[in-house]
Amino acid sequence: MLGSIIASGLAMGAVYALIGITYNTMFATSRVMSFTAGQLGMLGGVLGSLFMLKVGLPPWLAFIATLLGCAVVGLVTELVAVRPVLKSLDQHLYVLSTLALALMIQQVTAIEWGTEPQPFPRLFNVGSGLMDEKFWLPVVACALVVLGLEYLYRRTLVGMAFLAVAEDNFAARALGLPERRLRVWSYVLAAAIGGIAGFASGQLMLAFFANGTLLNFYGFVPVALGGLGNNRGALIGGLALGLFQQAANFTVGGVFSSIAVFVLFIVVLLAVPQGLFGSATARRV
Amino acid sequence: MSLTRRNFVLGTSAIAGAAIIGAPRYAHAAAESLRIGWLAALTGPSSAPGIGFDRGVKFAADSLNAAGGVKGRKIEIVTRDTQGDPTKAVNATQEMINSQKVHAIWGPTNSGESLAVTPIMARAGIPNIHPCVIDTLIDTKKFPNAFRIAPSNGQWDDAVRAYCLKVLKVKKIAIIGDTTGYGVTAVKACVANFKRDGADVVYSNNIDATQTDMTPDMTRARNAGAEVIVIWSVSTGMEARLFNARAEMNWDVNFAGHPSMASGEIRGLLAKPQNWDKVYAVGYRSCSYGTDGKLPAKSQEFVDKVQGKVSLDDTLFWWVTAGYDAVNMVAQAVREGAGSSKDIIAYWNTLHPYAGYFGNYTYTAEEHNGYPTADVVMSAANSAKHGTFLLAPGYV
Amino acid sequence: MSVDSELQTRRPIAMTGAGGAAGAGGAGASGGQATHSGHHRNEDWRKVWPFLAIFALAALLPLAGNNYWTVIATRAAIYWILVSGLNLVVGYAGQLAIGYVALLTLGAYITSVLAAGNVLPPMPPFLALICAGIGGGVFGLVVGLPALRLRTFYFAMATLGFATIVTQIALAWQDVTGGGIGLSGPAMPAPFDSEMGLFYLCLGLAVLCTLLTANIARSRYGRGLIAIRDAEVAAEASGISKVRLLSLIFIFAGVLAAVAGGLFASLQTYITPDAFTFELSVLFFIAILIGGRGSILGPLLGTIILTVLPELAAPLAAWSNFLYALMLLVIVLAAPGGIAALLDFRSRRPLPANRRIIPDAAPLDRLLSRNGKEHGRGGVGDDASNDARNHTNGSARNNVSNSAAGISLHDVVLGFGGVRAIDGLTLAITPGQVHGLIGPNGSGKTTTLNVISGYYRPQEGTLRLDGAPLPAGQPLLRAAHGIARTYQTPRIIGEASVLDNVMIGGTLHGQASFVETLLRLPRHKRDDTSLRQAAYDALQAVGLAALADARADRLQHSELRFLEIARALVLRPAFLLLDEPAAGLAAEEIRQLGELIRHISRHGTGVLLVEHHADLIFDICDHVTVLNLGRVLADGTPAQVREHKEVVSAYLGG
Repeated sequence: MLGSIIASGLAMGAVYALIGITYNTMFATSRVMSFTAGQLGMLGGVLGSLFMLKVGLPPWLAFIATLLGCAVVGLVTELVAVRPVLKSLDQHLYVLSTLALALMIQQVTAIEWGTEPQPFPRLFNVGSGLMDEKFWLPVVACALVVLGLEYLYRRTLVGMAFLAVAEDNFAARALGLPERRLRVWSYVLAAAIGGIAGFASGQLMLAFFANGTLLNFYGFVPVALGGLGNNRGALIGGLALGLFQQAANFTVGGVFSSIAVFVLFIVVLLAVPQGLFGSATARRV
Repeated sequence: MSLTRRNFVLGTSAIAGAAIIGAPRYAHAAAESLRIGWLAALTGPSSAPGIGFDRGVKFAADSLNAAGGVKGRKIEIVTRDTQGDPTKAVNATQEMINSQKVHAIWGPTNSGESLAVTPIMARAGIPNIHPCVIDTLIDTKKFPNAFRIAPSNGQWDDAVRAYCLKVLKVKKIAIIGDTTGYGVTAVKACVANFKRDGADVVYSNNIDATQTDMTPDMTRARNAGAEVIVIWSVSTGMEARLFNARAEMNWDVNFAGHPSMASGEIRGLLAKPQNWDKVYAVGYRSCSYGTDGKLPAKSQEFVDKVQGKVSLDDTLFWWVTAGYDAVNMVAQAVREGAGSSKDIIAYWNTLHPYAGYFGNYTYTAEEHNGYPTADVVMSAANSAKHGTFLLAPGYV
Repeated sequence: MSVDSELQTRRPIAMTGAGGAAGAGGAGASGGQATHSGHHRNEDWRKVWPFLAIFALAALLPLAGNNYWTVIATRAAIYWILVSGLNLVVGYAGQLAIGYVALLTLGAYITSVLAAGNVLPPMPPFLALICAGIGGGVFGLVVGLPALRLRTFYFAMATLGFATIVTQIALAWQDVTGGGIGLSGPAMPAPFDSEMGLFYLCLGLAVLCTLLTANIARSRYGRGLIAIRDAEVAAEASGISKVRLLSLIFIFAGVLAAVAGGLFASLQTYITPDAFTFELSVLFFIAILIGGRGSILGPLLGTIILTVLPELAAPLAAWSNFLYALMLLVIVLAAPGGIAALLDFRSRRPLPANRRIIPDAAPLDRLLSRNGKEHGRGGVGDDASNDARNHTNGSARNNVSNSAAGISLHDVVLGFGGVRAIDGLTLAITPGQVHGLIGPNGSGKTTTLNVISGYYRPQEGTLRLDGAPLPAGQPLLRAAHGIARTYQTPRIIGEASVLDNVMIGGTLHGQASFVETLLRLPRHKRDDTSLRQAAYDALQAVGLAALADARADRLQHSELRFLEIARALVLRPAFLLLDEPAAGLAAEEIRQLGELIRHISRHGTGVLLVEHHADLIFDICDHVTVLNLGRVLADGTPAQVREHKEVVSAYLGG
């Protein structure tokens, strides 16, 4: 029992953490929380299944194709839902535009792909039981992404440019950093991360259109817990959420576990609105 | 973007254009066509049955019309995609009754929807055939207009229980359902019936169908000593996960229960094809072939009839035949002289039996559950061939 | 006045009422008042007729004989009952409650459970509906309260979570709700049990809800909501309590949503948890945004369109959710104001091109001396201002000795991190005097204002008003103490009219309670009339009366500065804090500003003027303080300060 909890908890937690990182990456360069983060996770699984099972591509090619597909969605998000509203002074418009785009993605998937969960093939034939691929693949993917981002942000110029734009938009522009291009690239990067999350968890969650809304919410909880823009916080928050959720599932059952997760979420958020690891909001006058 | 006159004009003309394209259609009094409403869940969750029924319905209408219609009248199927949403179902029912002025309604196929629309159809007195299994939907006093073409859930439950207790001869039962309206009632009734028949229900639960890992519930069932696991769910994803969990636990136990366990979608969701062994789903004699591989003669007749016109491979035989039978039941009533709704209902009350392809139905004024219980059997879930199944071992 | 006639000839027709008033300004107020309120009546009629048309058409609908459309219309009416309340939350208060279907579900289940008698003996349906309303009010508050602590996106997510939870509870609590199998909706008693009967019941309630929400929207509550949404800081300074106002609105919207839920259950005749989909929630939300924020008519049209759209064509039904989302995206990108903005022809009429700001002394006198000198704090307000008066011994300011009168800061120290923004500041604002505060950038001028306004809590030192300590860190209470201010960057509500913006300043003067406003009882009407008149006077006083009905975001920068002053004046403040009001003004406007400030101070108001324009300061100030690096560099009369050596070298130059 404990083994099952840990295996599935870490796996789901890794997926939630990756979606949280997707949110954070989009937020970092645009100050926008995008509803499309969860949908990208869903697309990772759906596109993967589409390319491997329906089109018949080998897994590595399907993976690249999936990432490309998600990248396109990330581009579209930035172009259609984020860039136009950044110009306006109205703070909350981005919530609406990204919500609208997310809903459109979901509906098209539901109608074209179908509303039943479709299978997602095994990628490697390594492991079974508690060490089955569907448990270790998301965790490995998450670790790789986190390490990759660390390297990107600390060692490469592009990564540092991302951080600069995230920290102080105006100063970055004054220094001559191409702010818009960086933002576009960060959305593409975020979309790729979401796609990786979906692809790696395909066996676990199946290629199912409703995964989008599920991941939107459960992927947001690590962000709320860990503090906006804080990837480490999202990682810890995601893993903790996954373990908590699976433990609740195992002990009290599905219905009560989602109530438990949500109540915990609300309580933590009300107690610490900026997240457990986040920083307080700036002066407003 | 600024609010210029151009934007305003573009915006309003777009809205106006959409409105014109979608102007409401009203039933034409002319053509005397026989209009049958079809409340179909063609998209949305659990749409597989709807698609299956739809094939039978279309085929029936096409063949009847090709033969000249019914008493010179063409059959017109008025389809509305309710997407499994009770709100849309209510709207569509009202439209069919008041705007389209249909003569009978087939469907809906979803429990939540039928619970909402049955009282409305009863109030309008419109003849209704549906395949929904929830027991309370059929009540000759409250809903004298409603007829069930498929077995009720009680009949399914009887078949499963009989198989467990008499053929498999086990005493310790685990019962698992999903969290839909159907799943919850079915599990409740099943538990009560097993207990009444002297069996020991060691574990029962309703699980969210989207739960990714079924191991916890399977483990608890095993720890309680279950000898068979009865499943009442419409979710193929959930069922596949349960089969896979059983395999991973190396547990040699039988599954028995809901017909969806035999659905073709499950094949792709299994980790290994063997995981589908020892799974017995509710089936029908008319849809089962014996060890010699042969279907009953009447069913074979249907297979030959639809050869090349309707695909049976990725759907279930009973869906297609039930849809076909329903349309023909309406046509038959009209052929025998029924003019109004009341006449159709009165005619159906006299059907004992009506020989359809799905089954031989018997209806009286006091009994609107027409499917014979004896014809409900268990099938081996992994044995699909053109939508029909191998009869489960142990049947005569 | 010759300048006025120049304005008159150029003014478009819609402004004639205001123009007439301005023209008669010099000759006395009464003529102007009458014309303005007459103009106001015309406006009312223009706003009301679309509603009358819609509801009249709706009432005639069943006569067409097709029950299908009656049912669709009933559904639209039920949705509107919910949306009208949600409109106040989303459209007016700007709180993005996306998961509001939770309250519809709650109302539906409470009504059905009570009517069916699963918990208590069966209740008559109307009583069950009322109980559902009460439950909805309570739960609406629970769902809404996180908004006070959470950011926009977080709150939206939290409401989504609530929606899921309610559905899960409905699924799990089988004994009461029937679980997945659901239960029958309440059957309304005759004559409401037929399709037509239910329709007229729902239509009647929909009309009622329209009236109620319109009453709130056009009152100080509605203006307060928009202020919280668009200019929260300014709203706070005007004494608008976000907590109190939002709580009232959440409760009200919750009641309406729950009642809608009960009616929904009746229409469906049977409810199961799967009827309350996320798509429904999104429909409500999108209807408001397509309709346009800050409007009642817009969301009403939005609701009707979104309910009817899937019924018009079968392919639309399958793609309806996609279409809703697409419409939302288009609206957000192309016409963020929604249908209401598209229909708002009046706001697109051109404003006069070469308009000037002409402050007027007479209305100012009318405004500020209305209640005599001791009422610098304004009329008998609600609890906050009563408390404030009790704080300061409730006495008229005459009784307070001269040395203690006014605002005084003593050795105030305020630091951010390691930097001391204010380092031992002592300052006194005397009633009836204009006190200038100047200094280089970063010397702590705005910070001083913010300390007096209550946004910052000084680490050391005291802040007193008329001798009694002024609580730090509580900007909400300042308005009640008669302290008003303007801002370095004008904080106004772009979408609202100039007059509405000004009326925000007088929110505290309102005495009518929420319920009285809801029902438009006489006290509310009295409040409204006197506030409107006071606001109009304030606009005339600053010289913007001609633009009273224009949308505030169409004004030029200089006009916005005067607008902020007008808003402050409506409070009839004892003290007025001005943060660089002359920035961006032309020379003539600066002169007018100076005269205006002078006039204001002659009425007994103590003015603190933070400025960079040295000429203006030395012209009108009675007393000047010079700050540098958070310390007082010089303090005295303008003449003294002008000669001060250090001031000259550090700041004035030459």
